[in-house]
Amino acid sequence: MTAPAPAPAPAPQSVYVYGVVRASHAVPPGRTGVGERPAPVRTVRAGALAAVISDAPARLRAKRRDLLAHQDLALTLGRDGPVLPMRFGMVAPDEESVRRQLLCTQNDCLAALERVDGRVEMNLKALPTEADLGALVREDPEVSRLRTATRRAPGYEASVRLGEAVARGLKRRAVAAAATVLAELSAVADATVHGPEVEGCVLNASFLLDRREQRRFEGAVERLATAHRDRAELRLTGPLPCYSFTEGRV
Amino acid sequence: MPTGTYTEEVVRIQRTGTLYDCLELILDRGMVIDVFIRVSLVGIEILKIDARIVVASVDTYLRFAEACNRVDLEFDRSKTVPELLGGMAGGGGSPAGRMATGLGKKKAKKAVAGVGEKVKRAVGAGEGDGEGEQGEREEREERESRPRRRTAPTRRRSASASGSSDPSEPSELSEED
Repeated sequence: MTAPAPAPAPAPQSVYVYGVVRASHAVPPGRTGVGERPAPVRTVRAGALAAVISDAPARLRAKRRDLLAHQDLALTLGRDGPVLPMRFGMVAPDEESVRRQLLCTQNDCLAALERVDGRVEMNLKALPTEADLGALVREDPEVSRLRTATRRAPGYEASVRLGEAVARGLKRRAVAAAATVLAELSAVADATVHGPEVEGCVLNASFLLDRREQRRFEGAVERLATAHRDRAELRLTGPLPCYSFTEGRV
Repeated sequence: MPTGTYTEEVVRIQRTGTLYDCLELILDRGMVIDVFIRVSLVGIEILKIDARIVVASVDTYLRFAEACNRVDLEFDRSKTVPELLGGMAGGGGSPAGRMATGLGKKKAKKAVAGVGEKVKRAVGAGEGDGEGEQGEREEREERESRPRRRTAPTRRRSASASGSSDPSEPSELSEED
């Protein structure tokens, strides 16, 4: 019997990257990362920066467990200093390439770390609400007309057309309210960016805030939510890792 | 100053441990390094679409139409309760009161029923027929075991949205292993 063919030399271990911190950042020990059998988290240092990494799992998919692991680690790191969270699913071929990358983006990363130091991201979404359908019927001529028509001649088609008009009208009201809300909150935040478009939302915006301003910001959102409750539903999420503010240039 | 319960209903502040309202940030924002590989991009894109709310559906339109037809404009125009009560008492001083007398008892009764509904809604009592403002989301959420009553304090938390076109995919997100 011949000896089995020699196994190919193990490829350099690819690594999952969670985020970038300052080299002086103390990373809490004993943390594990993404994957079915989560690997221990470690750091790779280069110059003034460190990347927080773990061995990449063999088969990584966007499971709830892994998304939470990614998010939790970024939040934990954020308690001890600024962190630039990576987008979910970034895998480097090996530690060496991470090191090289840190060195060639050092200045941008340091500027970005400076910018998010002591700050958090709060995300606000605004959605249409049916809280005041009566106002829509009174104020929107199209809805009013279709409603009358549907009552005169009820039917599937008529109802769908009326429903579409209602959806459009509710969205229009929410868009107007969201514009006011965005303007007011932008004035009190250190920075504001629009998030990716989200189906069903008329506004998706992230705000960069001093950690100590969080309560005050929440209070402002609550006031606005009350003032506009008949036109838009507001959903505030945070504090989050500063996903939307990782650019060094302001 | 609104009470805690009240504000909780107005704006839900979601903290660590919830993914639903920040999924797109984890997947679409955050730092990207071009030379790194982004894994499972295809899987991630599919998940993103599944996690989204499907609003523009015929079901939603029909529900809107139904709700819209239930709106009682007569009541909504005569804003204040005293005016309505004046009408019921058969006169009173207000123009609305006089008008209600003229229009007869039937209308006044209808208006009172309207007030009852409004009050119920305001105190969050159960409304069997789903005119609630969050009905749409619950519908998506709990298509299988759908309680159409309002359950104000325990509003939707989880990330799972069942309004997907491909029933095999939402398990991606809710899968726990």
